[in-house]
Order: sequence, then structure tokens, then C-alpha cells
Amino acid sequence: MLVLGIETSCDETAAALVDEGNVLSNVIASQIDLHARFGGIVPEVASRKHVEVIGYVIREAFDSAGKGHSQVDAIAVTSKYGLIGSLIVGVSAAKAMAYALRVPLIGIHHIEGHIFANILSNPGLPLPHVCLTVSGGHTMLIHVKEPGQYEVLGGTLDDAAGEAFDKIAKFLGLGFPGGPAIEKLAGHGNRTAINLPRPLGRSRTSDFSFSGLKTAVVNMFKDSARQTLPLPDIAAGFQEAVVDVLVSKTLQAAQRQGVSAVSVTGGVSINTRLREAFSESCRRRGLQVFFPRRDLCTDNAAMVAAAGAVRLKYGEVSGLDLDAIPNAPLESIKCA
Amino acid sequence: MRVLGIDTASRTNSIGLIDGDRVAADFAWDARDSSLQQIIVNTDLVLKRSGLTLAEMDGLAVGIGPGSWTGVRIGVTVTKIMAHAVNKPLCGISSLEAMAHQSKGASLLLCPLVDAGRENVYAAFYRVRGKELTREGEYYAGSIRGLTERVKEPVMFLGRPAYLYRGVITSEMGALARFGSPSDTPSGSVFASLSLPRFAAGVADDALSLVPLYLGESLAQALLRKKEAEAGGGRGSRPDPEG
Repeated sequence: MLVLGIETSCDETAAALVDEGNVLSNVIASQIDLHARFGGIVPEVASRKHVEVIGYVIREAFDSAGKGHSQVDAIAVTSKYGLIGSLIVGVSAAKAMAYALRVPLIGIHHIEGHIFANILSNPGLPLPHVCLTVSGGHTMLIHVKEPGQYEVLGGTLDDAAGEAFDKIAKFLGLGFPGGPAIEKLAGHGNRTAINLPRPLGRSRTSDFSFSGLKTAVVNMFKDSARQTLPLPDIAAGFQEAVVDVLVSKTLQAAQRQGVSAVSVTGGVSINTRLREAFSESCRRRGLQVFFPRRDLCTDNAAMVAAAGAVRLKYGEVSGLDLDAIPNAPLESIKCA
Repeated sequence: MRVLGIDTASRTNSIGLIDGDRVAADFAWDARDSSLQQIIVNTDLVLKRSGLTLAEMDGLAVGIGPGSWTGVRIGVTVTKIMAHAVNKPLCGISSLEAMAHQSKGASLLLCPLVDAGRENVYAAFYRVRGKELTREGEYYAGSIRGLTERVKEPVMFLGRPAYLYRGVITSEMGALARFGSPSDTPSGSVFASLSLPRFAAGVADDALSLVPLYLGESLAQALLRKKEAEAGGGRGSRPDPEG
């Protein structure tokens, strides 16, 4: 079954063709450079860029896969979770395509897409497992019982982990996006030189909080004795605190759910130190850990197409009145 | 020639179908009932009522604004992707031109207005010469007073803002100001019919590159432009905790 995926929930315009778990094309037009000048994502700027490039991105998805419009069996689109103005463009394009080609339309929750980035990347991924989705827009722990069956265990109470990276990078004058900038600087620093809090580190819930950590870093600059601390040490200490919380909470959740595997997905899952720390800790606990292939870490449409294929198999199809919903809960497939 | 015309840039959304020289269908709904949810449902309704399919169209026309930024993005994206998917020519029509077209009978300068909020409007001037409607000068985005200052001859103001700001316009222009019908939102078939001569002349828009006519920028863009213009103040190398 050949599925066209479309994803525009934030600042990447993406389209992909996926056939039975094989990614035939995965086109992503990133707007990062456009938003860097603003120091963060500007919703109106993102929406305008999506309209400008969506047609080219869809055409490229077909061309690079060597497929024609008539070969598509269904269209899957991120319709839930993200910036409303951005989601609207992808949903408009997907509806138009589904109606014109007379194929089913499937609305997908953005987080479900990220769960499928790992399922697509690792065919041997065990079920059930615990999945951590972590990016600039979300930080969530999910018990994945099987593809399409989820239990949300917890999420962030304030900032997403990637958002904390962005804010600290902005504060340190490192620019946007913050993740790669902090990681690069942290590579030159000592991660144990400064001691930062591990928010909610000891709580028994699977929830996260990163805004206090951000404040702790900012407050260090009010303390004159610490003004001389090298920035690389601050970046490394901050990154370590975030990584530490993400790893310990995920492993705690895995233990509670009695699963033998965890998966990490989303933009932050590309972070080398995060991958290293997860691998070390999981090895010690006898857990398997999985990450998506690099091009499926950040927002992409292949993961959306893969999620759509599974929903379609269970007969879950959206109407042509499909809406874009910025804050929707992650829902399991009902008829499974 | 059969053309489907779609417009979701204003408060009244509409889809119409022109078949030869007749209006085969026109359907309108309130944008508050959701442009996104209704657009394909109503496209299907108009086509089914006409006994036609998308593949049987000779071209697609769409209102490109100015108007609601979110609204116009829905119409432009849906229409251009449908045109691309079924490989039909596409034509983007300005909402201001469509409004002027409806008052083509008047023999004076036409000035359609679209509300841009806070006593600001999007506008343009159109003159009728024979059967032709030509825009005079550039599109305008700014205050209603800034617009009235530009005119030295009788003008017919069109659109809802003409009524909203009738008092201001009259006090600035006196007898030079005329007012068109208050219910002059163009229907989908108007957009479709305006595209006919362009399709006939072979001047279609590129389905992949068509974008809305915004005539305005986001607040963030405006602030950045201002900041960059004022740039020059250097920043210290250490972060400012109060910043």
C-alpha cells in the first residue's frame, strides 16, 4: 500500500511516500534559517512559507520516489498537535490531494507520527515498549502496547526539553535553534563542573519540568562569583541535567510498565550525548534502546505516512471535513 | 469552458462553477462555520449538483486576497494542490479586482476596500475602459485617511469598510465620495468568470508557486525590520540576566 504523508505542524514542510514500511522518498523543506533571524519560530512566517513550498515538496516526494499520482492508495496528514496556522496548510493540501485523486484521507496526531519514526527505523522494535518523544514542541512518555495502541504516561508541565535548549541558547547568545548550538559548545566543556538541579528527578510521576532548570542557569549569572565560569561548562552542565532527567524518567517508566525496551524519538533524539547516556544506562539495566534513523528524528512526513497506513488497515479514515486541532490528546485506534 | 471558482479570503466563503457563458452553481457559507472543514465538502456539493467532476473542469480559479490571512491560505492551498493533482490550469484572482468587477457598470473610478483592522484597509483603484477593468497604481495598505488623500476625482468606494468608515470618507472627500452596494462580496462564480479571458489567452498561473496576496506583514516581521533599521548598539559578550 502506497501512502503519501504530509507534515506541516511546525516549521518543516514535509512530504513522503511510504510503501509497506519502505520509505521511498522523504522530502523536508526546513525553515530554520528563516526563523533564526527572529530567535524562534514565528507562526505567521511559518504558515506563509508552508503555502509557498508545499506544492514543490509534494511534487519532489513523487519525483524522487519515481511514482505517479495515480499509484497512491491513501493520503495521511498531521492534523493534530502543532501550530494551528501551520497545521491548516498541510491539512488543506492533503484534503485537496485526497479529493482530486479519490483516495482515503487519514488525519494523524503528530506524536503518533514520532512513535512511528522508530517503528519505521527499527523493524525489530519490541512491543510493548516505552517511547520518549522529545523535541522543541513536546516531551512525552508513552506506553506503546502495539502500533496504534497507546497509553500516555506523562509529559512536560511547562517547557518542552528542546524548548529549554532553545531558551538557554538564546540567553547565552548562541542563536536558534538551540539544540545543536548547545551540543557543540558542550563538547568543549566539562559536564560535571557545575551542579544544576534535576527538576522532578525524584518524583514518582512520569511528568517533566524544565522551566526551573532554565531559571537556575539564568540565576548563575546574577551570582558574581560564578560570572567567570566558562560558557562551555555551563552548556555541558545544562545539557547533562536535561539528559539525566530524560534518561532516569524513561527508565523509571520502563521498569514500572515491565517492558524490556525503550525508544527515543523527536528532534532532541538526534543529540549525541542523549544517545550515549541512554545507551549506557539501558545496557546497565538490561534494556534495549532504539533511536530513529537520523532523517526521521526531526519532523518528517514518512513517519506520518507509516502511521496512516496502520490506521487505514483498521479502517480508520477521516472525512473530507477533517479539521486541524492544535491541542488534541493522543488517541488509540478504536476498532482494533 | 468549465471553471470552478473558490474564494475563502473574506467572511463569506464561496464556490461557484461557470459552464460556458452561464453560472452553473454558486454556493456560499459563513467563514465562522470553518473554511477548512467546509471547503472540500462544498466543492464536492457544487460539482455533484452540476453533475460534473473535478477532472471535467478546464481550469480552476481562486481568490488570492487580500483578506483573512488564514482564510486565504486555505483557498489558495486547496485550489493549487487540486489543480496540480488533476493537472488543470490555475488562475489566481485578487479579491479587490473581483469586487471592482461587480461594479463595472459605474463610469467612475472604483475603489474596493478590504478591512485590515484598526481603521486600516487594503485597497486599489480600478478604471473601466470599454469592457476592460484596469488597476491604476499599486495596491494600498494603510489608514483610510491616507487613502482618501490620494484621490482628486469622484470615486465609488466598495466593500464592507466603505460602510464602516463612511463617516471618515465623507468628511475627508465630501461630494467626491460615492458608495456602492453594501452587499458586494463576490461569489465563487465571479472569480471563475474573471479567469475565463486569462485561460483563453493562455496566461495561467503556476500551480506550485501561487501564493496569497497578503499586502501586510506579521508583527514579528515588522518589529524585526524596525530593529534591523535601528541596529548599531553592540551587545556584551556575557549574557544579561535581566535581558
